Amino acid sequence: MKFKKESIGYVVIFTFIVCVAFVILLSIANQLTLDRVKANKSYESHFAVLSAFGLADGNTPKDQVESIYAASIKELAAADPGVSAYSADIDGTNYLAVKLTNPGLWGPITGILAADIKAERIRGFAILDQQETPGLGGRISEPWFIAQFKNEKVAGDGTIAVIQGSGKGDPDSENGQVDAITGASRTSDFVKTLVNKSLDQIRKIGGSL
Amino acid sequence: MSPAKKVMKDGLWSNNPIFVQVLGICSTLAVTNNLRNTLIMVLGVTFATSMGSMTLSFLKDLIPRKVRMIVQVLVLSFYVIIIDILLRAYQPAISKQLGPYVGLIITNCILMGRAEAFAAANKPGLSFIDGIANGLGYGWVLISIAFIREFLGFGSLFGIKLVGDQFTPWTIMVMAPSAFFLVAIALWIANNYKAAAEAKKKAKPAVQPASQSK
Repeated sequence: MKFKKESIGYVVIFTFIVCVAFVILLSIANQLTLDRVKANKSYESHFAVLSAFGLADGNTPKDQVESIYAASIKELAAADPGVSAYSADIDGTNYLAVKLTNPGLWGPITGILAADIKAERIRGFAILDQQETPGLGGRISEPWFIAQFKNEKVAGDGTIAVIQGSGKGDPDSENGQVDAITGASRTSDFVKTLVNKSLDQIRKIGGSL
Repeated sequence: MSPAKKVMKDGLWSNNPIFVQVLGICSTLAVTNNLRNTLIMVLGVTFATSMGSMTLSFLKDLIPRKVRMIVQVLVLSFYVIIIDILLRAYQPAISKQLGPYVGLIITNCILMGRAEAFAAANKPGLSFIDGIANGLGYGWVLISIAFIREFLGFGSLFGIKLVGDQFTPWTIMVMAPSAFFLVAIALWIANNYKAAAEAKKKAKPAVQPASQSK
C-alpha cells in the first residue's frame, strides 16, 4: 500500500491516531496505579500526623501506621478553610494538631503541629511537604531540627522564636526558642511563621471545644 | 568495529552527550547534589531515550516530515510520563524528592537530539542501543559529578554518612553553582585529553584519521 505521506489528509489522520494511541496507553497506566498513588498520599499524611503527635516514628512498621491512625486520631471540622485539624487522647490528655500550608522560599511548606488544647506546650511537629534548597533550607525535614519542637514550651506571648543559635539545635525545651538553620535564615523564618500560625489555630479550635 | 560497538563507544566517549554535544546540562546542574537522585535521573533519561528512539525508529517511515517533531515530542513525553507514574506509585519517596525534575526529563536535549540525529535515520535495534549508550554516557559523567558534590557537600554517599562530625560540609557543593564549576572542569579535562590523543594519532604518519568536527 502506498501513502501520500505529505498530503494533508494523511498528516491529520496519522497525528490523530498516534495521539489517541499514546494517550489511551497513558490513561490505562494512570488508572491502574491510581489506587496505589492515593494510598501512598494518604499514608504519607497519616504518618506525618502520627509523628507530630509522637505516636509513630521511623521505627514504626509501615503496615501498622494506618491502624494506629484509625485507632487514635479523630479528624475535626477545621476552623478556617485550608486547615485540617486532628485530635488525639494520649495518656489521658487531649491534644490537638493542625495541618497548615504556608509559603516557603521556593514553594509552599506544609507542616503539622500538635500541641495541648491551650497551645501552651508543643507536642510535636512534622513537615509533610517542602521544596526548600536541598542541604540548606531542605534540612528543616531533618530529625534534629524537628526534634527541637518536641515538648517545647510556648513563650508567654503565645509564639515560638526561631533564633540564631549554635545551628546544631536548641536542647532547652523551656525557653520557647529553637535554633534556625545556618545558611537558611529565610526558610527558618518561614517555618517560624508556619508554627506560630498553627499555634493560633490550635488556640482557636481549643477555645471552641 | 561493529556498528553496535561503534554506537556504544560514541555515546560513552567520542560523542559523549555532555562532553561533545554539550546537551542535558540543565539536569546536570539540578540533580547532581545527591547520588540517589542522580541515579534515578540517569535511569529515567536512559529509559526514555532508548525506548523513545526505538519507537520513533519503528515509526520513521510513517511519520510525515511536517509533523516529525510533534510526533517525537509526543512519543518521548509518553515514556517520561510513564516513568513519572511508576515512580509515584512504587517509589513515592523518590518521586517526592525529584519533584518536577522527572517531568523535566522531556526537556533534556539528549532525548530530542538522539531522536533527530540518530533514530530518524537508523534501524530500531541500533537506535535502542544508541539511546542506551547516550543515556549511559550522560550517566557516568553525572554520577562522577554527583559523587564529588555529595561527598564534599554532605559528607555522605547515597545518603550514608561517611565522615565524622568534625567535617565541615562545603555548602557551595550543594548549590547549583558548584555544578557549573565541576562540569566546566570535567569538560576541560575531557577535551584536553581528547585533543592530546588526537595529536598523538596524527603524529603517526601511517594512519590519517579524518579529523572530527564538532
